[in-house]
Amino acid sequence: MSLVSGPGRGGMTAIPAELQLFVDKHVRYIQSLDTRKDELEYWLTEHLRLNGLYWGLTALHLLGHPDALPRQEIIGFVLSCLHGNGGFGAAPGHDAHILYTVSGVQILATLNAFDELEERVKDGRKKIGQYIADLQDPETGTFAGDEWGERDTRFLYGALNALSLMNLLHLVNVDKAVEYVQSCANFDGAYGTRPGAESHAGQVFTCVGALTIAGRLDLVDQDKLGAWLSERQLKNGGLNGRPEKKEDVCYSWWVMSSLAMLNKLHWIDGKKLTSFILQCQDPEGGGLADRPGDMVDVFHTVFGLAGLSLLKYPGLAEVDPV
Amino acid sequence: MPRFYHDDPAWSDVEPIAQDDGGPNPLAAIAYTDEYSEAMGYLRAVMANNEYSERVLSLTEHIITMNPAHYTVWLYRARALEQTDTSLADEIAWLNPTALMHLKNYQIWHHRQTIIDRLGSPDGEADFIATMLGQDSKNYHVWSYRQWLVKRFGIFDDKELAWTESMIEEDVRNNSAWNHRWFLVVGGRGGQGVSEDIVKREIEYAQTAIRKAPQNESPWNYLRGIIRHAKLPTSTVKSFILAFADLEKPDEVYSSHALDLLADIYIEENKKDKAMKVLDLLANKYDPIRAHYWNYRKGLLEETGAVG
Repeated sequence: MSLVSGPGRGGMTAIPAELQLFVDKHVRYIQSLDTRKDELEYWLTEHLRLNGLYWGLTALHLLGHPDALPRQEIIGFVLSCLHGNGGFGAAPGHDAHILYTVSGVQILATLNAFDELEERVKDGRKKIGQYIADLQDPETGTFAGDEWGERDTRFLYGALNALSLMNLLHLVNVDKAVEYVQSCANFDGAYGTRPGAESHAGQVFTCVGALTIAGRLDLVDQDKLGAWLSERQLKNGGLNGRPEKKEDVCYSWWVMSSLAMLNKLHWIDGKKLTSFILQCQDPEGGGLADRPGDMVDVFHTVFGLAGLSLLKYPGLAEVDPV
Repeated sequence: MPRFYHDDPAWSDVEPIAQDDGGPNPLAAIAYTDEYSEAMGYLRAVMANNEYSERVLSLTEHIITMNPAHYTVWLYRARALEQTDTSLADEIAWLNPTALMHLKNYQIWHHRQTIIDRLGSPDGEADFIATMLGQDSKNYHVWSYRQWLVKRFGIFDDKELAWTESMIEEDVRNNSAWNHRWFLVVGGRGGQGVSEDIVKREIEYAQTAIRKAPQNESPWNYLRGIIRHAKLPTSTVKSFILAFADLEKPDEVYSSHALDLLADIYIEENKKDKAMKVLDLLANKYDPIRAHYWNYRKGLLEETGAVG
């Protein structure tokens, strides 16, 4: 899946007053992404290939076209990124890293392909689970991204997410991980990448997601966090990720999924957000951009669609906020 | 000028390993891509041999220049630096312009942290950070890195606080700078108590900033955080809040955040009716986009038996 942005831009042609979602255009846009190997950016975004594939696949599922990409080929590609140590690289020949391992597991789960994994790789699930478990720091409970040791709550969430998809949560110390997440809670009620780091909506998603998986949402000051999350909505309906920053379609997912996990989706104005997301579409070439007028890409396409799905936009499959 | 390795005598002993992407690679449309794929082929070859040498450093530098988001290259470079006797100061000097060219890159920062940690001194880092923040004053990586420096080298001093103030002075809406201030004064001190004098100073500081931009969320969050941390009642700042939002003057409200705190104060004072009126103002007039939230707050208030 190519992460090349464009060619189209969101919201350039006047979108009719009767706002609509251009489902077929988006499906074709995603299908076209893998045919763009002659473009420089395709090669420069190789380090995100597996994530991109997951985003594209999820977008197609949301759009009700789960079969628009060839299943066997995807499984083949995903498994070609798997290393002997149980980790996935971003593309064949890239080092294993937790972010790609999570995407790999998510794709296999989406395609219901764990059986195929076991057929082709003996004890595949167990190996992957062990790779993830070994990245946990026994002292603090958090997770490193790879053997290099960069730490971030994104990795912690990814680890718990992938392990729970494989029913292997028992391989790690969940209580320690929960403790670490809580140490990232800030004075404003939200969460950052590390203890003390600035609150950020993307990080709130990872922390609330991790706590949801662990069944420990009781630890969250839910009203305070919900208030902070709803503060993210700007007058034009769009959401930002931090106070006094610009709106961006991807926060339709990070903010909304967090609110959904807290049962507070209605704390933002859904109508205004829906209209903002629809304005970010390229009605001709398909795809969504971060905000009207910018280039579309697969990342913003999937998170815009997932946001619409949480807003119960008609015709979209329902997404699980975790 | 593109750089190639196949006719370079220094690399004649290396057989590049081609990308295995499940099929023949399409012809590159741009010469730059040829250069990139060839360099990657040589990288795969040296990695297969675990070679750590001067030429590996130069090869990784070349690839990073073309594509700094390729995490494998950084990882391999960090190992090569360790294995060869390379000056870490030189590495930092090279990293500076590289980071400036790629403001949103994760890997550069982690690499820098590894190098500075090995060097054992934060000298010169403040200047570099200033340059980076000159490009984007809210860059998350830069502020996280600054926090790491403060913690690693114990720089909780007046100079650091003054610098943070200068950042807030420059842009009072910079939430990252407010977060850094919190880290210096409260968060980074490992649960150490904050003295009464400092609490007073911080409340005044936040208030001064609010006067400059009453609808700015950051200092309000900060003010609320300090009050809560010091376990003071919200009414401590009642007279200050009334200057921005007063039920007597419902058409002259200067900040929805002030109304929010005013509601808290009335709840504290057990004045339910007044609190209801404040929440109504928020839901209907001053923050209708979040009407459901304010109505939820009203619902909570109705549940409690407080008398008005």
